[in-house]
Amino acid sequence: MTTIEQTVEIKRTSIRSARAIERRRLFLWLVPPLAWFTIFMLIPYATLLYTSLGHVDDMRFIPGLSLDNFVRVFTVDPYLSVIIKSARIGLMTAVFSSIVAYPLAFYLAFHVRTQRLKFLIYLLVIVPWWASYLVKAYAWKTILGSGGILNVGMQSLGLVHEPVRLFLYNEFSVDMTLTYIFTPFAVLSIYAQLERVPTSLIEAARNLGADGWMIFRRIILPISVPGVVAGAIITFSLAFGDFVAPVLVGGPDSVMISNVVINLLGVAFDWPMAAAIGLVIISLGLLLISASGWLEERTQTRF
Amino acid sequence: MRAFGNRSLVTTLAMSVLAFLYAPILVMMVFSFNDSQYTGLPFNGFTFRWYEALFRDDQMLTSIWNSVYVGLGVVVISVLFGVPAAIALDRYEFPGKGMFRRIVMLPIVLPGIITGIALLGFYLTIHLRLSLYTIMLGQGTALMCVTITEVFARLQQLGKSQAEAAANLGANDWEIFKNVTFPGIRSALFGAMLIAFSISFDEIAVTFLLTGRENTLPMTLWSLLRREVTPEVNAVATLIVFLSIILIVAGMYASRGNANEREA
Amino acid sequence: MTTGIELRNLRKLFEGHGHASWAVDGVDMTIGAGKFVTLLGPSGCGKTTTLRMIAGLEIPTSGQILRDGQDITDQPVTDRDMRMVFQDFALFPNMTIQDNVAFGLRVKSKRGKYTEPQIQQRVAEFLDLVHLKDHAYKKPHQLSGGQKQRVSLARALVTDPKVVLFDEPLGSLDANLRKIMQLELIRLHRELGKTFVYVTHDQDEAMAMSDAIAVMSQGKVMQFGTPREIYDRPANRYVASFIGHAHIVDATVDSKQADSLTVRLGNGDRVGVRGKADAAPGSAVGLMLRAEDLTFTDTAADAIGGKVVDSLYRGEYVEYVVALNGNSGVVHVHARTDLPQVAHGSTVALKVNPAKAHVVVH
Repeated sequence: MTTIEQTVEIKRTSIRSARAIERRRLFLWLVPPLAWFTIFMLIPYATLLYTSLGHVDDMRFIPGLSLDNFVRVFTVDPYLSVIIKSARIGLMTAVFSSIVAYPLAFYLAFHVRTQRLKFLIYLLVIVPWWASYLVKAYAWKTILGSGGILNVGMQSLGLVHEPVRLFLYNEFSVDMTLTYIFTPFAVLSIYAQLERVPTSLIEAARNLGADGWMIFRRIILPISVPGVVAGAIITFSLAFGDFVAPVLVGGPDSVMISNVVINLLGVAFDWPMAAAIGLVIISLGLLLISASGWLEERTQTRF
Repeated sequence: MRAFGNRSLVTTLAMSVLAFLYAPILVMMVFSFNDSQYTGLPFNGFTFRWYEALFRDDQMLTSIWNSVYVGLGVVVISVLFGVPAAIALDRYEFPGKGMFRRIVMLPIVLPGIITGIALLGFYLTIHLRLSLYTIMLGQGTALMCVTITEVFARLQQLGKSQAEAAANLGANDWEIFKNVTFPGIRSALFGAMLIAFSISFDEIAVTFLLTGRENTLPMTLWSLLRREVTPEVNAVATLIVFLSIILIVAGMYASRGNANEREA
Repeated sequence: MTTGIELRNLRKLFEGHGHASWAVDGVDMTIGAGKFVTLLGPSGCGKTTTLRMIAGLEIPTSGQILRDGQDITDQPVTDRDMRMVFQDFALFPNMTIQDNVAFGLRVKSKRGKYTEPQIQQRVAEFLDLVHLKDHAYKKPHQLSGGQKQRVSLARALVTDPKVVLFDEPLGSLDANLRKIMQLELIRLHRELGKTFVYVTHDQDEAMAMSDAIAVMSQGKVMQFGTPREIYDRPANRYVASFIGHAHIVDATVDSKQADSLTVRLGNGDRVGVRGKADAAPGSAVGLMLRAEDLTFTDTAADAIGGKVVDSLYRGEYVEYVVALNGNSGVVHVHARTDLPQVAHGSTVALKVNPAKAHVVVH
């Protein structure tokens, strides 16, 4: 009797449990990143929330439980209008960079014949990342300024007599600078999507008598939408949060939301207000991620 | 045949875009050799003196090294924590997975300043002194999603069956990782490391609020650009572009050796 | 205690976006040691999921898997000594063919069992067995589909497992190569004496190779038996129509004798069927008629009447499509090619071989 029980016992323990091992593996992979994001994102956000509910009196932080700061984000000038303006600049940047990026991505995906050339052009898209953002933005000043290359060139050709000041120190120049800086992100994103298009699809369309324009409009353009969306989300977000371009090439009133936050911290010492703006933008960010996930899912073509 | 449409039109448009991307870089390079106090017209003549000035400028050289140091730290952090996250997202279903994914992606869409202010508040609360390490932690958090998305995409593309075959042949977890998972994601991981390093190297927004006494290169340039600008700034940027091209090309050739293996 | 693999009421729930379905829904089966057993069915019938549960790649939602009487339902895949040949080969792209095959001998759990020279020798032996010894130092991407499948086979066999699992291994090969590989698998099974569990949707493949076939549909086993049983005595309409070129004609049981019965078709024609059936006189059944069991006859007595509507020359035989009188069904008839051609539209009488005719109740 005992011997039978013992053998049964041994058989049980000699088999490891797959379910238990699976749980342990998940734990092993998930816990380090989860701990990281908890410590460096969730806890700081909670700190932000705590700060935003208090207020500052005579340069000292007074804790509290007031939603005043959130109300102020939406009612007191200039917060809401600056957020809207930043979003507008972000949107323009996203639209312009998609338009600028598309031909290059298209060329890379369909017209480059050798792998070597493809590698070279791919490299040429990435390399501008390495040239300092600041120096590049400053180089635009060298080109567009009233004593800049463009004006001097146009004057010497007799096209204009006075330096044109239209290119610099306004919202449009901020749009253009940001477009220039962030276009490579859009190129890579659109290219990745176009590269997925099977060659046979184009051949089938041509075989059915479609011309180049029709192939583009009816097949390639719809398929490329998720790539354009993904690129637009990235360029929008990067441009929305920028604070360098307004300082370097923007006009006197072209502050963006990041500049406002910096001023609240560095000049006004109004931490609670800055925290409230931060939380509003974090919520908007989460919304944007959900929306983009939904949009990319909806527009994605399955092959 | 893959190509369609008017070839010369497409090529012309693409080349114009490249010209747009490179015009400021060329201007920047040309004016790094300008024999003038100003980084603009007129071009007074060719000189190397701004490069000489750069190599004597301890502040500049230190900040370049600081940026490299921070960038390497960011790469290490994003690999150590990003690869497990990508594997967990690829292989397992767990409660809260959707939210975890959103949280991971959040720093991509969030202005760097917001990530910065949240971390700064946290550092002040726990009395952590600002240093290169506080920058590293901040950028590491913001850039981890690059590693996670790149590695996750590759894992999805690879599928499960090789790992299953290895387990079926009796391999343990470490053997599966070493022989199947890692060789599979190697080139994607390398690309993610490259991107994370290059973004870190030029990062301003997150860094801005988290900088202590030691400056990274972009922070040094930022303070220079707001005071007086000399072509030394152009010289630094030019030098870094050339160094980076050499590094990228070398790196890509090194990793291309095993790139064709994953076709099989 | 049973030797072999026993599946007891095995179930697996797959949860997708918002909906859940039973991929495997109560499978009971005993796979005898040393047998070649095939799980056969269309895609989505649960055969691959069943195989993956045997391998340990999926954990069953409920039910048990026993191996030689021991419960291995929850045993990790790494610990089960059952080797799988994957549909997509699943070769390790970063390793040479030799290293791929040696992988299972070099894992830590096998360390100390073989010395490196022994491994080399064993790998060489098995590469020879699958005719690939000249390719040992190539990488997988340099091989053809058929060669990759052989590597996958060698990699599974080299560790000398008792059980080898096959997940549609020949699915991606062309027809000729498939025939050759089928013969090789039968040879290997005979020579090595291991248990083979094989998943396929190809019934010819299943018939040709297996000791036993489990026909599956919608997560359930419709019939489990030898190829002959399944072909000659299908348990139900599903199996009958899935296997071979059978046509099921609706009929009613007319009368029942000791070991035979007579059924009546819709048009009144009567057919005698040898064997027993679980159906009372008057109940509705399906009469299974295979093309090779029907012959044209001159006498109208004890025959089914119909009209030829189509004929196809198949080389080995002529296949006639015959519409039975009174709209009671369509059957195919295989006739020898040296017999005179029957013209379209001709009225014919068909004789049924009573030993091969079969009645399905469900």
